[in-house]
Amino acid sequence: MAKVIPRKPLTLAERTYLPQVLGGLKTTFKRMVSPNVTLEYPEERPVIPEGYRGVPTLVKDPDGREKCVSCQLCEFVCPPKAIKIFPGEIPEDAPTAHVEKAPRDFQIDMLRCIYCGLCQEVCPEEAIFLQEIFSVTGYTRSELVYNKQKLYELGGTLPDRHFKWEKKRQAAERGHQH
Amino acid sequence: MPTLTIDGVAYPAEPQKNLLQVSLSHGLDLPYFCWHPALGSVGACRQCAVRQYRDENDSRGQIVMACMVPATPGTRIAIEDEEARLFRKSVIEWLMTNHPHDCPVCDEGGECHLQDMTVMTGHCTRRHRFPKRTFTNQYLGPFINHEMNRCIQCYRCVRFYRDYAGGRDLDAFASRNHVYFGRSEDGALENEFSGNLIEVCPTGVFTDRTLKNHYTRKWDLQSAPSICPHCSLGCNTLVGARYGGVRRVLNRYHHHINGYFLCDRGRFAYEFANLPIRLRHPVLPRPAAAKDGAGRPPTAAEAIAAIRTRLRRSRGLIGIGSPRASLESNYALRRLVGPDRYFSGLPQGESRLIAVALDILRDSPARSPSLREIAEADAVLVLGEDLTQTAPRMALAVRQSILQAPAARVAALNFPGWMAHAFQNAVQDDRGPLFIASVDATRLDDAATAVLHAPPADLARFGFAVAHAIDPEAPPVPDLDPETADLANRAAEALLAADRPLVLSGTSLHHEALLGAAANCGWALCRRGRPAGLGLVVPEANTFGAGLLGGRPLREAYELVESHQADTAVILENDLYRRSHGTDVDRFFDRLETTIVLDAVQTATTARADILLPAAPASESQGTFISQEGRAQRFFPVLPPTDPVAESWRWLGHLHPDEARALRSQEAMLIAIAAEFPFLAGAREAAPSATFRLNGAAVPRSSRRFSGRTAIHAHLSVHEPKPPEDSEAPLTFSMEGTTTAPPAALVTHYWAPGWNSVQALNKFQDEVGGPNRGGDPGIRLIEPRNVPRAYHNAIPPAFNSREGLCTLVPLHHSFGSEELSRLAPAIAKRTPPAAFSLSPADARERGLGEGDTLSIRIYGRPVRLPVRIHPQLPRGCVGFPAGWPDLAGIHLPTEGHFE
Ligand code: SF4
Ligand code: SF4
Ligand code: SF4
Ligand code: SF4
Ligand code: FES
Repeated sequence: MAKVIPRKPLTLAERTYLPQVLGGLKTTFKRMVSPNVTLEYPEERPVIPEGYRGVPTLVKDPDGREKCVSCQLCEFVCPPKAIKIFPGEIPEDAPTAHVEKAPRDFQIDMLRCIYCGLCQEVCPEEAIFLQEIFSVTGYTRSELVYNKQKLYELGGTLPDRHFKWEKKRQAAERGHQH
Repeated sequence: MPTLTIDGVAYPAEPQKNLLQVSLSHGLDLPYFCWHPALGSVGACRQCAVRQYRDENDSRGQIVMACMVPATPGTRIAIEDEEARLFRKSVIEWLMTNHPHDCPVCDEGGECHLQDMTVMTGHCTRRHRFPKRTFTNQYLGPFINHEMNRCIQCYRCVRFYRDYAGGRDLDAFASRNHVYFGRSEDGALENEFSGNLIEVCPTGVFTDRTLKNHYTRKWDLQSAPSICPHCSLGCNTLVGARYGGVRRVLNRYHHHINGYFLCDRGRFAYEFANLPIRLRHPVLPRPAAAKDGAGRPPTAAEAIAAIRTRLRRSRGLIGIGSPRASLESNYALRRLVGPDRYFSGLPQGESRLIAVALDILRDSPARSPSLREIAEADAVLVLGEDLTQTAPRMALAVRQSILQAPAARVAALNFPGWMAHAFQNAVQDDRGPLFIASVDATRLDDAATAVLHAPPADLARFGFAVAHAIDPEAPPVPDLDPETADLANRAAEALLAADRPLVLSGTSLHHEALLGAAANCGWALCRRGRPAGLGLVVPEANTFGAGLLGGRPLREAYELVESHQADTAVILENDLYRRSHGTDVDRFFDRLETTIVLDAVQTATTARADILLPAAPASESQGTFISQEGRAQRFFPVLPPTDPVAESWRWLGHLHPDEARALRSQEAMLIAIAAEFPFLAGAREAAPSATFRLNGAAVPRSSRRFSGRTAIHAHLSVHEPKPPEDSEAPLTFSMEGTTTAPPAALVTHYWAPGWNSVQALNKFQDEVGGPNRGGDPGIRLIEPRNVPRAYHNAIPPAFNSREGLCTLVPLHHSFGSEELSRLAPAIAKRTPPAAFSLSPADARERGLGEGDTLSIRIYGRPVRLPVRIHPQLPRGCVGFPAGWPDLAGIHLPTEGHFE
């Protein structure tokens, strides 16, 4: 059964609408003199907070070694399947030969990436990071497939807490049994 | 029914097996490393620990290794026992103290038995704080990559390589924590079965080096069941592909054929299909192509139209088939040109050999054995064939057979044969009878009771003598030297005394009398009431299939063209320059008006084609091969052939003017074959047909975890393309499909929850190490028949070397003699350079040393090659490398003149 809710009758002041109009004008005049809260993008850029999940990028360690070893775990975990990796071998005479592998090519389709950060989460080498870049533009679809070179350009160098492979190299030098 | 109890549940007791095998067979997850169904138990890794109770009242029990305890009635064990579980977990923790943190760069990652077992036992935190042991790796050749730090000392590798495959150059070195598995120095692993280390090793120590050229994780591979196209045995393979290229070949378990192991030729030859010499587009003669405008290769439709025009204008069409093309393709050609204008594509001599071999096997009281039956034979005679080079996997089977007789002898000691060390101790050096008669030393000689190295004719005489010694009614051999006669008697005695005697021979020496001699031996044994096996090795994957369609020999094709009765030839996947002498083939092509060639790769013959059609290689096609056992087996494409590439039978079906519709599918082709050749009707049942569905769905070629399908074309269009459809097979080119394990003929990958490595195969077998669930694929078309057969009596005269002349004998090589495999870069690295092989006596007579150049006149043309001295080669015989293009087209028997 429908329930009837009686409407409260308006007071006289309410019926004139004057208090509401004045209240609105007050806000307007206050904002005219208070500081701005918006940015004049793109001339002005926002400050990106720590931990922001922008475009996924590949990074190098402070020694300039590309950290990705093309294990393909991010390719595996990526929900929209935006990553495509062509694993490669590091030549035996290279200084980083003990790392064995690095991608021949590494492509991320920025049109498909959903910025979920799972690749960063899964990466066993701390080689892929969603950093502060949030704006990707281009005229064609294929321009938005970023290749390895572009991803390293965007990623730059990040500090390394482990130097895992350097430790492995030293251990091998110390400990070869044969 | 006597039972045993596992975790309180009763299961049937199987005293012939061990508890690990039984537990796994019942689907229980019990971790293990060192046990392998084909290698037995050694109890080395301590991973399969369970608690065993003495009887009903025993509540304490003790920890035992399940792989070392027979599953006898009344046994009570607990897998889910807390202490046993802790034991297993700490075994992994201990293994991990030295195991590198390598999974991201390890090729085994994602299909690693060690990863699986680590997860299964629950070990996850490293407590050990000391440095890990490290090793230097070795270069082991083009097939295998070595990364010793990942070793967990399970000893499977050396047990396979040395004990099972007879290899000598891989061993365990040093002791304690430092045990090293490798060679004494860097260098290619010599054994022809080294590739199996990839699957035998439970970690990433031995991995596929060819896969590194285009690495892909297992979960990203699209795979399909295939048949190895590189010899006549028809081993079952799993071919994996990604991004339009073949990535690797793995063993596909077939209980009766290859079991757990492939040969290296079959495993590493796949790369030929990725090479630039692959044909990808039709080639038409210039006038037709010019119409199309510049630059664009002709389409399939244009090629077909052009050929139709030519066929209409032709004043006589012939078709030349091929023993390396599928049954369907050969039949389609035969249908196109008519039975009397269809040629087998083999020279006269070889054609006849194949016909003789088929005649021997089709009406034979002796059974054409499967490889499993060969491994289980307890006395073997190999007549004239160097099995390691011509049918490698069969050599591995023969090597197992020598343990059958000793196994029977130690059976009285009452311990099961899977106790590997106890078995070795009991058997010591005792080996069963294996007699090898070959021209040159073979890689099986070390396993033989006795060997005879003699010219082909003398080998045949030896064979006839054995038959005569078995059954006096078989024709005797006149003027046999006493030594050979004595050996023949010994061989005959051993065969007669055996329960499962076996005679193996083949066509590789191109010597018909050898086949007759082998047949006589087999039949003689049958007449003496022995259940003998008689196996004949033939050269190519579908030699028997093509042979059963019965084309005429190549020479008659040449004559037909010579006499202007034909001016157009369709040549199916066949390089005539490998079959006949170059000048004959040149002349043949010169006389032809139109030469239409179908092939997958460029050959000397495709270079002479007017019209070239790109055929799909086995990895991209569907078809049927008939193996030397007489088994029809189906292979499926792992990749859809990219338009305009197509299976040869599809091209030929389209060329047929009127009944084209009737022959547009593989199924239709097989129905037509069955109607015309009732004997081949079984080929249709070799695998489920295209309409087969499991729970309403087809079988997916990709794993359920396949990533990247939808992203591959995202840069082109937002619309995800539909995966290509397969109208011929009950398989899909995607991850969509049934999740139930399919019948063995359709298995696309071995995977089960928690089991990512190849060991997941356990879940596809009825019992671990037994037949595939639901039966093993393929249909045997040749079964023994109890028909009286007259003995062959064309006994050749004894060999006599003549001054200045030599008998040319083909020496085969596993890496180099087969046409397609020798194209693969990894195989090519193992192919020795062409050389003439000489006996020491002949070399001395001519003052030649190793490496000197020798010129021999063959068919009036001098051939110059370096000399290699083979100590075992008989005097008067010169070995030439069979299948090397430098020496193609030699018809045997032929004599050469020393220059
Ligand atoms: S970015 Fe990280 S997860 Fe992705 S392939 Fe490279 S190492 Fe592996
Ligand atoms: S062998 Fe297995 S566990 Fe060891 S590094 Fe390789 S993938 Fe990882
Ligand atoms: S190399 Fe592999 S198979 Fe050999 S002992 Fe080590 S882990 Fe086992
Ligand atoms: S034995 Fe023959 S069929 Fe088997 S894998 Fe080797 S080449 Fe292939
Ligand atoms: S599998 Fe039983 S001890 Fe290794």
